[in-house]
Amino acid sequence: MNSTSQLVEHFFRHEYGRLVALLTRDFGVRNLELAEDVVQSAMSRALVVWPRSGTPAEPSAWLYRSAKNLAIDNLRRQKLEQGFFDAASGVSAESSTTFATLPHFNNEIGDETLRLLFLCCHPAIAVDSQVALALKTVSGFGVHEIALGLLTTSANIEKRLTRAKEKMRELHLELSEMTSTEVLERRETVLSTIYLIFNEGYAATTGDVPIRLDLCWEAIRLAKMVATHPVADSPAAQALVALLLLHTARMDGRLDTEGGVVLLAQQDRTRWDGGLMREAMAYAQNAARGAELSRYHIETAIAWEHCRAPDFSRTNWARIVDLYRLLLDRFATPMIRLNAAVARSYVEGPEVGHDQLLKLDDSDRRRIRPWWDCCMAQLHERRGQHNSARSHWLDALALATAEPQRTFIRKQIVRLNIKK
Amino acid sequence: MPKYLLIYRDSAEPQQPQPSPEEMQEFLKMWDGWFKQFEGKIVDGGDGLLPTGRVLKPGGVVADGPYVEAKEMIGGYSVVSANSYDEAIEIAKHCPIAVIGGAIEIRQLAEYN
Repeated sequence: MNSTSQLVEHFFRHEYGRLVALLTRDFGVRNLELAEDVVQSAMSRALVVWPRSGTPAEPSAWLYRSAKNLAIDNLRRQKLEQGFFDAASGVSAESSTTFATLPHFNNEIGDETLRLLFLCCHPAIAVDSQVALALKTVSGFGVHEIALGLLTTSANIEKRLTRAKEKMRELHLELSEMTSTEVLERRETVLSTIYLIFNEGYAATTGDVPIRLDLCWEAIRLAKMVATHPVADSPAAQALVALLLLHTARMDGRLDTEGGVVLLAQQDRTRWDGGLMREAMAYAQNAARGAELSRYHIETAIAWEHCRAPDFSRTNWARIVDLYRLLLDRFATPMIRLNAAVARSYVEGPEVGHDQLLKLDDSDRRRIRPWWDCCMAQLHERRGQHNSARSHWLDALALATAEPQRTFIRKQIVRLNIKK
Repeated sequence: MPKYLLIYRDSAEPQQPQPSPEEMQEFLKMWDGWFKQFEGKIVDGGDGLLPTGRVLKPGGVVADGPYVEAKEMIGGYSVVSANSYDEAIEIAKHCPIAVIGGAIEIRQLAEYN
């Protein structure tokens, strides 16, 4: 009797996405919801059967067969209700394809999971819905897990999913209809959605919410999936994997033993993960093939400069500033401008950084608070202006919601009060 | 040794969020552990029950089921052998249904024949 302990970590979660993708291939994207329901039911069934009769030798095949039969039953019943039973008899459980002989539509994307990911990133679907839909259908997260990871409510996630599915129905999207031209067009959206998933997880990773760390690893898994596919792969995809790995390598160092935030300058660099950095460099080398220079290439180069500096004081800030200039030419988002300003402050002095931060207008600032306030506070402190620094820390505290961040800001205020 | 029927009562509340695949895998591991821990004691692993059924009432009246009492509905069952109710309860306590907050009704089989 096989034991379920042999199942790899996240087996059900990853299987969920694969099975939903296979079933939407079999029954059409219009039956996406049915596909999700039957996969859920097949898994519930496994909970009863496997512990009693042993885990099947091929658990994936078992789940697929079970879900597919449920879907066929369901579709038959639907047709029966419509009085079209005869038409449904053409669909038979016997005709189900095996894993070895899966047909590939148009010979474009062979991996159904990847195909589903590209479908979720359809330009007509709003970005926040894309993220929710990809996490639910491709990544197999539960609605409440997504809500926890994205710091919102389950109701909000349900709403985003409903909107996305309405859009899909409206557009009559089908998995089989994606051509390689469309794949190439959509690749950029897919990469930015993956990056967004990663950032959601990375932004406020705390010890008490492990699901956010799961989001980071899931983003890496998806990015690797794109990067290893013959059609979907690109230097940008390779660069994105490298970037996500470099960020993840330094994840542990960002928190102290109590789960509090630690600034780059104070981080214990021995806690950075050398293995992940080496893996990242392999992807970075692949990314360097070809003429493409994406934002991920530049951001990887910046992250690498931090990784290779033996300590904070030996960071090559001049090189980092150059890289930020290159990045700002393409993506002048408020967050990147903020980081660029801080980098410049280490080359040209805190006054320059301060002036750069003031150049961000109100609407830009709103999008990056309280980080903007924190950076302002630090720049003032470096110039010896402790009162201004304190007032910016207080602004930051008023805006911060994540507990580790609040604790960090309070510590800064206490420290400044002692200094005075 | 006396035998006891464990009747698993799930919440019948429709708003219950569906467990995520990750939670289901965790649940599967718990079931496996329970079957292993009480290997010699579980006489019949039993089965799950489908959510709908029929109720045959006195006088031959048939209604759609299941027979739902309070906010729980029978979701499955197992049969275990134990020396006493205390031991049966001990086995039930470790059952995943109980661990995740469900109710288990424990009834000794009469074994009339």
